[in-house]
Amino acid sequence: MKLPKSWLCEYVDFNVSDADFAERMMWRGFELEGTEKELAGVAGVVTGRIVSLAPHPNADKLLVCQVDIGDKTVQILTNATNVFESACVPVAIEGAKIREKTFGAANIRGVDSFGMFCSGEELALTEDECPGAGVDGILILPPDTQPGLDIAAALGKDDIIFDFSVTPNRPDCLSILGLAREAAAALGQAFQAPEIPHIADDQNAADLARVTVEEPKLCPRYCARVVTDIRVGPSPAWMQRRLRACGLRPINNIVDITNYVLLEMGHPLHAFDLACVAEGHIIVRRAAEGEIVTTLDEKQHKMDADMLLIADPKKGVAIAGVMGGLNSEIVPETKTVLFESAVFLGSNVRKTAKKLRHVTDAAARFAKGVEPVNAYMALERAIALVRELNAGTIYGEVIDANAADLTPRQITIDTDHVNRILGLDLSGAAMAELLSTIDIPAAPAESGLLVTVPHFRGDIESGIEADADIAEEVGRLYGYQNIPPVLMRGETFRGQIGPAFCDEDGVKDCLVRCGCLEMYNFNFTGPAALALLGFHEDDDRNKAVRIQNPFGEDQSLMRTSLYSGMLESAGRNVSRRTGHGRFMEVGNVHIAGGEALPEERKMIGLIYFGEMESFFTLKGTVEQLMRVFRVPNLRFVAKREHGFQPGRCAAVYSGQTLLGEMGQVHPDVLAAYSIAQPVYMAELSFSALRQVKSEAITFVPLPRYPLVARDLAVVVDAGAESAAIADIIAGADTKPVLISDVRLFDAYRGHGVPHGKKSLAFTFNLRASDHTLSEAEIRQAFETIIEALARNGAPLRS
Amino acid sequence: MLDILKQVHTEALAKLKTAEGEQELETLRQEIFGKNGRLTAILRTMGQLSAEERAEIGRLVNAAKQELEALLGDRLALIRAAARERLFAAEALDVTEPGLVPLPAGALHPMTQTYRTIRDTLVGMGFSMFDGPEIELDDYNFTLLNLPKDHPARDMQDTFYIDENVVLRTHTSPLEARALQTLKPPFRLIMPGRVFRVDEVDASHSPVFMQMEGFVVDKNLNMANLKGTLDSFIHALFGEDVKTRLRPSYFPFTEPSAELDMSCTICGGTGCRVCKGTGWIELLGCGMTNPHELENCGLDPKEWSAFAFGLGVDRMTSLKYGITDIRLEYENDARFLRQFQ
Repeated sequence: MKLPKSWLCEYVDFNVSDADFAERMMWRGFELEGTEKELAGVAGVVTGRIVSLAPHPNADKLLVCQVDIGDKTVQILTNATNVFESACVPVAIEGAKIREKTFGAANIRGVDSFGMFCSGEELALTEDECPGAGVDGILILPPDTQPGLDIAAALGKDDIIFDFSVTPNRPDCLSILGLAREAAAALGQAFQAPEIPHIADDQNAADLARVTVEEPKLCPRYCARVVTDIRVGPSPAWMQRRLRACGLRPINNIVDITNYVLLEMGHPLHAFDLACVAEGHIIVRRAAEGEIVTTLDEKQHKMDADMLLIADPKKGVAIAGVMGGLNSEIVPETKTVLFESAVFLGSNVRKTAKKLRHVTDAAARFAKGVEPVNAYMALERAIALVRELNAGTIYGEVIDANAADLTPRQITIDTDHVNRILGLDLSGAAMAELLSTIDIPAAPAESGLLVTVPHFRGDIESGIEADADIAEEVGRLYGYQNIPPVLMRGETFRGQIGPAFCDEDGVKDCLVRCGCLEMYNFNFTGPAALALLGFHEDDDRNKAVRIQNPFGEDQSLMRTSLYSGMLESAGRNVSRRTGHGRFMEVGNVHIAGGEALPEERKMIGLIYFGEMESFFTLKGTVEQLMRVFRVPNLRFVAKREHGFQPGRCAAVYSGQTLLGEMGQVHPDVLAAYSIAQPVYMAELSFSALRQVKSEAITFVPLPRYPLVARDLAVVVDAGAESAAIADIIAGADTKPVLISDVRLFDAYRGHGVPHGKKSLAFTFNLRASDHTLSEAEIRQAFETIIEALARNGAPLRS
Repeated sequence: MLDILKQVHTEALAKLKTAEGEQELETLRQEIFGKNGRLTAILRTMGQLSAEERAEIGRLVNAAKQELEALLGDRLALIRAAARERLFAAEALDVTEPGLVPLPAGALHPMTQTYRTIRDTLVGMGFSMFDGPEIELDDYNFTLLNLPKDHPARDMQDTFYIDENVVLRTHTSPLEARALQTLKPPFRLIMPGRVFRVDEVDASHSPVFMQMEGFVVDKNLNMANLKGTLDSFIHALFGEDVKTRLRPSYFPFTEPSAELDMSCTICGGTGCRVCKGTGWIELLGCGMTNPHELENCGLDPKEWSAFAFGLGVDRMTSLKYGITDIRLEYENDARFLRQFQ
């Protein structure tokens, strides 16, 4: 909300610095978002008087001027043709700044120039607000202008405009008067509220206009006044100046009055050309389904029956609370005006404006909440301005269709509760004193504090929130900064991270130890990215949750796997040549369906690329993670998945429980992410991992007898899985000799091995739990293993 | 014979001095002491001598043999030492070459690091973790929190909708409602998670970001407790030197509401680009939980009190490390992430 300082000063004795004022307002809950100068973006431009001027010796179109700028005379070149000796002009001296442009000294064809003269246009001034600003050439100031003044001061445009952010609970402060009331309290000054006179005559307004409200729930109050003999013309300079300072464009005196009152009092008004309202009869009714209204901005709107319409007996003349109709607009020929000041139900206006995609300033204000007392006062203020501006003749009395209860609400506040909320110990009288500074009457009563809620403070509730609402007022008036910080007392608590969050830490820590950098990708994906991964038809991961209002189609789905996000980030890293790639992510994916909400799954993602990575470095990481979580019976089963290169993809199981999958990404998928090198990727279910992990670490005594290491090589079909062979070795019946640590250490195809076969070399350990193995035992066990292998089609390599 | 002995002795000494390498030395040993060695030859011919001569020559030969063997041993040690010396010289390293890394050093994302620091501080203050869904019912995200449909303050949070009743949660506050409905007070909770707003990506906005909510329900909690809790937690996170200020604000789910500012960690409060010249940085929103929310969730606001605070982990991370563009936190550039190893 813009607050020109000069306007504020009309109601408040402003006695501090701007910075001090901003801080005081901050402590009241009004944050200063910015400060503007009235003559925005202009610095270092001063008034100057041209002492003499002469032609430039080397340039026909330039003049060399000696200019008195107060403390000295400077030489300035110009190509303007409207300057003359003794003319007063704005001078952008060396170092001046107009918006982005900085002015310095220059030398043009051998003659120095220490600045430039400014045109009205350069200073962003219009002819309306500054006579002479519109001419083609330099702005000529009044002849009595003193040289050396700041141009803003010289033009009477040196106001400061504060811009405060107003929280949604304080619509009353979306007005100059509302902010001034708070400002006065913040400055410890009295708020000098303006007197609004009541102007009326003996004529009967009903002769010219009447109002019927058919929907009192949607329009609790509708006040109107008639003004005849309208003289449409420009509004006075002081009013135009204030409108401009607040960012509004002056239009004509009638419209300007409504806008001025909107700024000052915070209530939207509307002016109808009464000649265009059939029978002078305003009817507030629901629109007919499909009824068309053309608003002032010449846009056509198709209404529905939930929307409130201001109509005459024949047609709609305005969309209630949103915008007036083009058919009843104020034009230069307008003779009789009906000023409307009404209360429309905020939620209804909000819905209408959203449906019509026409969220006007008025609609926003109605949505935030306006109130019936201010509606009446705003109308009275407008009428007072009509007379002050001599813009017409006020006819009769106020027409007031009111269904609202205007009795001030009284609430009884439990002062102990207020103190309990704030952690303070204030007396009821002290609270009443604080509240009185913002015009909230309160008096100590038997059971606490009797507070009369002023009409403009609809945010203060009567129900269970009342004590808290008053506590907030008392708190901010007392100053949050004066509430002492006190640690909580009472029962103590054992803080717990909890098992699921601990396991998440465990996963991340393990993967970081494996060399992974942690990624955070957005949860959004799109149909194309999902299709690219080509999950099998019956895969849950095809069932993505759709967002109704996404940024775009490619971000319209909630991810069902971590893959697309990881691939996108991988692509970015590859193209930026960020070096070796080893990343992990732990995040949620969503599967459509589920009872009330989609199913949420926490997943662990891994993505590896770069020279040192392979299927097996990724697999090693998966195994390491499983080791850390003591997952039993880990199995990797070859699997076909469209997103992965055929023959290089595995499902990961613990026993029969599927944990996830891993593999080398299919080159076609990679191509879509502009990646031209192998990438390995895995996704594991966090909840499945938690389900199969074994919690307890049980100590196993260390072996007391020595182990014997042996190795052997077998020849098998080239397509055979080494894990199966290892299982045969580990499972050979060699009791009492124990076999452990079976590990493949070489796989070989080529010379010496028949075509279509491969040689697999394993190492393993033999030991007994209760004695040192004898040579005979070792030989016996080894032979048993070899027999088992041979039986299963894996003869020893000779 | 004596002459021969002398000659052998003299020649052997000469050869010993110049012998290089173990092989040459071994040849020399064979030459003197070997089966066909010269000393061996002398001993072999001693049978022809008289007993006295034999004793005399034998003594001399033995003395020569001992001397030469000792010298041979010394020479061997010398040669071996020299050989090792050469080997070590050859194997000498340029110790300034870069070290080899068996595995690349991984790193937690800086947001995770910040999240853990905040979490651990609060756990130390008796807070426990509480989790809930990212896709949330409108009821939990808004209505129960005193934000009924068509409440103007709903516009404060631009929402992604799944359908009329389901949204991507716009804050972690729906967890308050879930906690109130499922846990028995009193409790102190930390509720972290991703939240979503219809905000186009720029240097300070992201449609996906990470929030953390603190929520305390107990009897007789007050604003002074809220201040005390926030102060100690901010000091734990940013050091004892930072100043905080609690100023009035508005949130539908708290009354009174406040925002907590911290003196700028970049400039120390004198004003800079990060704090936009104010010397203060907005850190979090907080307040005493609105009685309507407690009542909506089945708690008697006359009996129970609560306070809550919610902060952006992304923002805290940016402030902590001086990251000026929030986009970096979601681009996953390895060069960015490696800085947090």
